[in-house]
Amino acid sequence: MPTIHLDKLVKRYDAVKVLHGIELEMAEHEFTVLVGPSGCGKSTTLRMIAGLESVSDGEIYFDGKPVSHLEPKDRELAMVFQDYALYPHMNVARNMSFALRLQKRPRAEIDKKVKEVAATLGLSEYLHRKPAELSGGQRQRVAMGRALTRDAGTFLFDEPLSNLDAKLRGQMRAELALMSQRVQKNMIYVTHDQIEAMTLADRIVVMHSGVIQQQGRPEELFKKPVNKFVAGFLGTPPMNFLDATLEARGDEVFAVAEGFALRLEGEKTALSNSASNRGVTLGVRPSDIEYAPAAPADRALQLNVLVSEYVGAQSVLLCQSGSNKVTVEVKSETPLALGQTLTFAVDPNRIHLFDRKSEAAL
Amino acid sequence: MADANREKQNPTFYALMFALVFMSIGPVALMFINSFKLDVDIISGTSGLLFMPTIQNYETALCDVLPYEIDHLDYCSLKFGGAFINSLIIAIISTILTLIIGCMAAYALVRFRFMGRDTASLTTLLVRMVPPAVLLVPVFGLWNNEFCIDKATWVAEWLHDIMDSRRRRDICLAGTHSGIILVYVAMNLPFVIWILQSFIVQVPRSLEEAARVDGAGPFGVFFRIVLPLIKPGLAAAAIFTFRIAWNEYLLASALSDRDTKTVPILIVNNMSEFNVEWGVIMATGMLLAIPPIIFTLIASRQIITGMTAGAVKG
Repeated sequence: MPTIHLDKLVKRYDAVKVLHGIELEMAEHEFTVLVGPSGCGKSTTLRMIAGLESVSDGEIYFDGKPVSHLEPKDRELAMVFQDYALYPHMNVARNMSFALRLQKRPRAEIDKKVKEVAATLGLSEYLHRKPAELSGGQRQRVAMGRALTRDAGTFLFDEPLSNLDAKLRGQMRAELALMSQRVQKNMIYVTHDQIEAMTLADRIVVMHSGVIQQQGRPEELFKKPVNKFVAGFLGTPPMNFLDATLEARGDEVFAVAEGFALRLEGEKTALSNSASNRGVTLGVRPSDIEYAPAAPADRALQLNVLVSEYVGAQSVLLCQSGSNKVTVEVKSETPLALGQTLTFAVDPNRIHLFDRKSEAAL
Repeated sequence: MADANREKQNPTFYALMFALVFMSIGPVALMFINSFKLDVDIISGTSGLLFMPTIQNYETALCDVLPYEIDHLDYCSLKFGGAFINSLIIAIISTILTLIIGCMAAYALVRFRFMGRDTASLTTLLVRMVPPAVLLVPVFGLWNNEFCIDKATWVAEWLHDIMDSRRRRDICLAGTHSGIILVYVAMNLPFVIWILQSFIVQVPRSLEEAARVDGAGPFGVFFRIVLPLIKPGLAAAAIFTFRIAWNEYLLASALSDRDTKTVPILIVNNMSEFNVEWGVIMATGMLLAIPPIIFTLIASRQIITGMTAGAVKG
């Protein structure tokens, strides 16, 4: 299981540059998730690691050895594709054993391995079926089984769950997490779904327009996003962004806009010196706002509740504050009526501030 | 549902169906019936369906392969057995060659980027637009005069030795099986490439990529993944090429000699200025029709299984 290092990886299609020097270090047995909106270059990065896409500039190292000149088959990888890419003319067993058969392994060894993997994935009954006779979830499992059957050091996943329905996706996500714990291999996983990224990853790499925005452990990215893009991308419902200005009133610093004046705490108070009067963007997650009729004025947000979306234990409220739309996540039993203007409280420690021009976190 | 629909069917629909069936079956039935009549019965035309069936025509047609003496024939002039084998050799080998070259060319044209790809793709079809009659004269000239091995060379000596031929002469493409096969391959290749291209385009690229990651080289991808998936296309192309090679008359008549004659030419040889042996022609025609029917049945089964297996999407 190699450590993988991407060194200033660049991809150009003719004159168009789609990857701008990707720098990434993946440790052994790490589950790395590349996440970002479509067109951010995450799939291209994965395909370059797999060897399906040529490297325009920079280099990929497996255990310190450059591999970008190697054919995919010489890189010791297994890959699961978005559309599964099961060979339609082979039955499940032959699909799973394809790589081993190419390696000319002994028949008995192949059979044993296939049976073993099929048993762990619950595919034992389907070994003689063709892919067309399987359901979506089963096909997904076969694709995973095909990757597992060969003893590759690194597993690549290209949006493997995006073709499944929501329920099955959740189920497969859990199985995948279980599998990654058990097999202890390098996993590189591409997705546009931030929930998949958060739940599966040891390390999340957020990409946008061919550039890595931030990488780190999920909670690190969730709690300390480096810029507005990462803050808005991770978390559902997404973070609220409100334009505000910083004002020093005596010893205290407030973020002020129409409808609220929130007192800042801790190190954020130091910002008033440098960023005073400069426009900032205030970021608050919907879950960090709570319904509190008796909240003190320096923590209070006056919100007009427009829509309430009941999702079970939680309700998501779509509210209006001045000209801004704000979403709030509250417990479902909270007594609320639509159309009312109510007082909500914001935890000052959970406020994020971003520079309005550069969008970097302050 | 089915019954309700059936009641509504218009009588003209049945009339049309009957006409179509009659048009397709009629000539075959006529040929079949006439192949069992004596020439006298065929030409008199009045007797209609009342005649004494005879296998005399088939005996005449098959005189060189039947093990027994045929009473009504003094001399076996018709070498059906030999011609049949010639036809089989030429049709089968040219079909196999066309498919092998065609599927590889089509794959390259679809999947690889190289200079002149689009031109090559278009030219293959342009070649198809030239009628064989136009090719006849130049091909005849080339095959007889240019594509020859001089009798003085050792290759010619060696070929004469293994063929055990008495007369030492230049060995030319004309009059050989290879000569005819070559023309048929050249003639059918463009269309086969064109058909197979449309099948190869439908093979999802991710399948090939998966195979590459699984450890297959370019040839592994082609033979283990692409080829099995375009089987229906190969079958369709095979039916097409086999039938053309089997039925072709014009080029074969110019390029074959006494020993490489194919069955269609043999049939026409039964017509002379003074006499047309209709019975024998019909019998030979029936025999000629059997191999393509068998071949089409076998090949079309591939098409059907291919369609039901279906490529997996999503």
